[in-house]
Amino acid sequence: MINPVFMIAIPLGLAFISLIFKKASKWILVAGVTINVVMLFLLEWGSVAMGGFRIPYGIQLMLSSYSFTGLAVVNIMFFVILLISFDKVEKNSVVLLTALAGMNGMILTMDLFNLFVFMEITAISAYILSMKGKKPEHSFNYLVLGSIGGVIFLLGTIIFYAQTGTLNMAIISSPVQQSAFDFSSATLFIPFFLIFAGMAVEAKLIPFGGWVKGVYGNADRLTGPLFSSVYAAAILFAMGRVFGELFVLNETIVIIVVITGLITFAFGEAAAFRQTKMRRILLFSSIGQSGLAVIMLALGFYFPAVLLIVNNALSKFIMFTITGKLQESYGTENYKELKGAFYKNKMTGVAFSIAALSMAGLPLFFGFYAKLNVLTALFGGGNWFIPAVILIFAIVEGAYFIRLLISLWAPGKEGEYADAKHAVETRKLFKPISVAIIFMLSLVILAAGLFPDFAGKTITSGAKAPFTMSQLKGGE
Amino acid sequence: MNLTIILAVTLVLAAASFFITRYNKMSGGFTTVLSSLFALVALFMMRGSIGEDFSIFYFNFSITTVGWYFSVVMLIAYSMTSFFNPFWMEKMMYPGSYNFLYLLSMAGTIGMFFAKDFITLFIFWETVVWSSTFIIQLGKSRKASYIYYVVSAIGSMGTLFAIMLAYSVSGTFVISEAFAGLSGGVAIAVFFTFILSGLAKIGIFPFHVWLPEAHGSAPHTFSPVLSGGLVKMGAFIAFLSVTAFPAYDIFADMFKIMGKPFPIYFLMFLGAISIIVGTLMAIKQEDAKRLLAYSSVANGGYILIGILMMDQVGFAGGMMHLINHAVASAAAFLAIAAVAYRTGTTKMSEMGGMIHRMPVTYLVYLIAIISMAGIPPMGGFVSKWLIFQGLAKDGMLFLAAAAFFGSIGSFMYVFRPLSAVFLGQTFTRDLKKKEVGFFMMFPMIILTLLSLLTGVFPNIFLRVIAEIQTSVGIDPITLANRTILTSNGYLDAFRVFIVFGFGFAIAFVLFVVRRKSRKVELMDTFTSAEFIHTRELLHYSSKFYAPFERLYDKAPDTLTAYKKLAVKVGELGGMVESLFYGHKPEKTVFWMMAVGIIVILIGGVV
Amino acid sequence: MIRLASLILILIGLYGVFSTRNVIKILVGVNIMELGVNIFIISIGFVNGGLAPILTSGSFSSALNFVDPLAQAIVLTSIVIGLGITTLGLVFARKIHVNYGTYDLSKIGGGSDD
Repeated sequence: MINPVFMIAIPLGLAFISLIFKKASKWILVAGVTINVVMLFLLEWGSVAMGGFRIPYGIQLMLSSYSFTGLAVVNIMFFVILLISFDKVEKNSVVLLTALAGMNGMILTMDLFNLFVFMEITAISAYILSMKGKKPEHSFNYLVLGSIGGVIFLLGTIIFYAQTGTLNMAIISSPVQQSAFDFSSATLFIPFFLIFAGMAVEAKLIPFGGWVKGVYGNADRLTGPLFSSVYAAAILFAMGRVFGELFVLNETIVIIVVITGLITFAFGEAAAFRQTKMRRILLFSSIGQSGLAVIMLALGFYFPAVLLIVNNALSKFIMFTITGKLQESYGTENYKELKGAFYKNKMTGVAFSIAALSMAGLPLFFGFYAKLNVLTALFGGGNWFIPAVILIFAIVEGAYFIRLLISLWAPGKEGEYADAKHAVETRKLFKPISVAIIFMLSLVILAAGLFPDFAGKTITSGAKAPFTMSQLKGGE
Repeated sequence: MNLTIILAVTLVLAAASFFITRYNKMSGGFTTVLSSLFALVALFMMRGSIGEDFSIFYFNFSITTVGWYFSVVMLIAYSMTSFFNPFWMEKMMYPGSYNFLYLLSMAGTIGMFFAKDFITLFIFWETVVWSSTFIIQLGKSRKASYIYYVVSAIGSMGTLFAIMLAYSVSGTFVISEAFAGLSGGVAIAVFFTFILSGLAKIGIFPFHVWLPEAHGSAPHTFSPVLSGGLVKMGAFIAFLSVTAFPAYDIFADMFKIMGKPFPIYFLMFLGAISIIVGTLMAIKQEDAKRLLAYSSVANGGYILIGILMMDQVGFAGGMMHLINHAVASAAAFLAIAAVAYRTGTTKMSEMGGMIHRMPVTYLVYLIAIISMAGIPPMGGFVSKWLIFQGLAKDGMLFLAAAAFFGSIGSFMYVFRPLSAVFLGQTFTRDLKKKEVGFFMMFPMIILTLLSLLTGVFPNIFLRVIAEIQTSVGIDPITLANRTILTSNGYLDAFRVFIVFGFGFAIAFVLFVVRRKSRKVELMDTFTSAEFIHTRELLHYSSKFYAPFERLYDKAPDTLTAYKKLAVKVGELGGMVESLFYGHKPEKTVFWMMAVGIIVILIGGVV
Repeated sequence: MIRLASLILILIGLYGVFSTRNVIKILVGVNIMELGVNIFIISIGFVNGGLAPILTSGSFSSALNFVDPLAQAIVLTSIVIGLGITTLGLVFARKIHVNYGTYDLSKIGGGSDD
């Protein structure tokens, strides 16, 4: 049984080592990620007090079923992305290892300041990785907004510390501690809002996430899936923790978060609808999905939220990877110029289609199960307005994904049958082994859609409350 | 359970057909024939299992008479059309996927009609939607596929909303119990959103825009399935909306028009509008398939009105029109497909005189349109007669007028392809064309015979419908031997057939005995020494109904409304992009400050 | 009092980011914000009349006489993070200058923005 801190420590340590051994850095990267994935299944569950300090005085890491699901998504998807786009790593091994450490930290930690530190680590590595897109102004924008977000988050944390005297998230929700610290939930609104605003920048919510279009829009085959699957999952899982531990104390903040999430979803899908460049479609879809997940997390519906995050991670990985490859091989990402691109790359096309249809929430795919759970949870809570908005914009979402698929599969003049002669010239896309990996992941989506109960059980163990009292060791 | 076997076999054969098509395209096509015939026969034999409930995985099924009826109708359309599949494989860009999706959608329809709970129903329904979307795109228009999906999605999301809203009140998804406890505003919301997918699928105004695009442009071997089969899925939802819902009880205290609660009358009114719009638009069309698609819109209106009437006669008429229209529409589309197979076009102005080359196809088409126009002795007459009876009995003037108009108008538009394509002069290009092979003729003949059967012996089908009526609590239609009895009179279809047969025999004898007309070539005509060059202008059907068409030439087009809506959504997206996204931090910082100020003010106050 | 000053600093920094187009000036704005937050943190930890939180032989009386050490630890970390971000920001600014020849963001088209 391994201490969960090694999930953070090993990539971080290897990052430093690969600074020294520059020649072997790529292999150190592979080693680090592989070790992490293997360790995932050997971890010791429960709470870890760093340095042996008793919980309120020290930093606490929590490996509960919730954080385990987060770790699984992050590490496994990181591993797969690395497998497929290994050639794109170039000189970024250090940054990638640091990013992995940071993200693991974000998911595991129960301490607000620790969360800030890991968020900044992750963000800095993201700024560096975004430079691969060769657009320094977008990376700069990302950096500025991310730092402002960090500053706001830190401010909120410190105000929170000033009001309550602790930085540990779990202690506050414990009823024992609530009587020990004298605070009123109403005054917590301001620090909570600042904490939310700080995280909302990274979580791509409107209007905080103005950097997304530039950064995701220029992401390549490595950074695209990394940002949209892994980074997105990490920040959302961290937000879920913050919501679940802290925000439950204040009703107003929940309302603010839900409104932000709903606007993000609606506007994100609307923006995606008018795009012709595939990366733009995907990035706005990611923004929309982020908003939706935030709504679910804020309302306390963790199971649907985790389903959404997992579905998004799998599907966006597949779609961004394939889009990146299309961009490389054809020099364009405009789907109107890529007509019939899947004609000779059918397995790639099928994988892409499965991912897209899952995002659109069509049955036989995992996304439908997620959508069903979202709706049942919302209606069960007596809410009909939010589902109505969600369903209306789901029409928009389905429309642009289907439009995209039709263009990529069936070229042809209007008035004539679809004919391969109108297709773009065939260019080599993926190596067979990569196709196999991507295809297998799409089959995971299909299988999870066909056997949702099995998938649900695997995840349910990951979506109970972010912590359970009995798992806390120590504490006053 | 038998249904499990049917579904399993269909899915296995679907996957198999994909791989078989890789090796031999025609064999792949034949696999679909096999699979659909098997499913048809097996489903037909499931009549005995009516009343059984069972589950596969997390799907719950219940074998009901109405489910059996709908699925048999659907499979007639699928199986007969599948005979054409092997011959169209060469034209398809993805023949393997076509076959696979063909059978997958078929499995979806089978599962849907027997669903016991709404989640099962919705899963199968949506599977049909997306698998047929990817088939339609292989045809003549990619836009058609897109429009089909969007209108379908509007319907599906509405229905999903209704199912969930009902669930939040009743706590269950089981169809027979899901709508319990609904009242007031919630009931109205559930009713109208639930039936959205039904309206969208049948093609009721204003959701009819996808029919001419999809039916008109889909591959020729799929249009019959779309028109004869898939629109009936919508009728099933309409059926559920008055039986499972149960609309008449829940709305019993509502404002009534002509004895029908307002929500129901409103929908019937939409059905009437569909009849009028469908008929008028069909008259204008130049392409045979688009014309038939608009006719499906009109007939969908009849079916909707019939089902919503929920009474002894009208309901039976609506249900019977299901099978009549399915058979007739499938036959008509197949006939046009057969002609297209030989001539390569469906534009009526480019064809003519095919009766000489393809007499059997002509006969198939003729009988199909006689049925669609509601003329005895074909089945369409019986069902339309029943619907008229129901409307007249309740005194619903406007609806009855629309229904009559639709019938008369239908005669106008069904006759046009007949005369354009089959009658008149044969084009030089087509002089050597032959009739289609026996394999393609076989389903057309079967469908024709079915059309005749429904017309001559309608009671066979009406007995099943009577069972359905009893199962949902309405008085069953009164049948006696070969007669149908209604409060306004009775109909003995067999006798009508005898009379027609008599008349036909006399006409035939006269035709044989009298002198034949002299064949004159099209261009051999008196022109006062002018030269004529264009065959097209002299073509029999060119500008056929021009004076009538001029009456409503300037009518607005519903599809434009959809396009404008799409543009608006795009504009919203554009606004979002320009407001929030760019490469300068100042934009986002501005928004952060704005949001911060607003929220802290509100939060501070609250 | 100090807290108010630090909050004003943060707002000045935010305004600085918002109001200028020059990349370097934006970074300065971010730095001012970070400065403000750091001062705020220190001020939170301050205890009137408190001793520095270092163990010496004579001051075992009450733990509450010390200034809060946690705040100081936080500030140290925050300063370092600020250092890293500023450095990276300057690198990006330099890259912008290399690519486009200017530090003025409004002179740079947004790439292929629609």
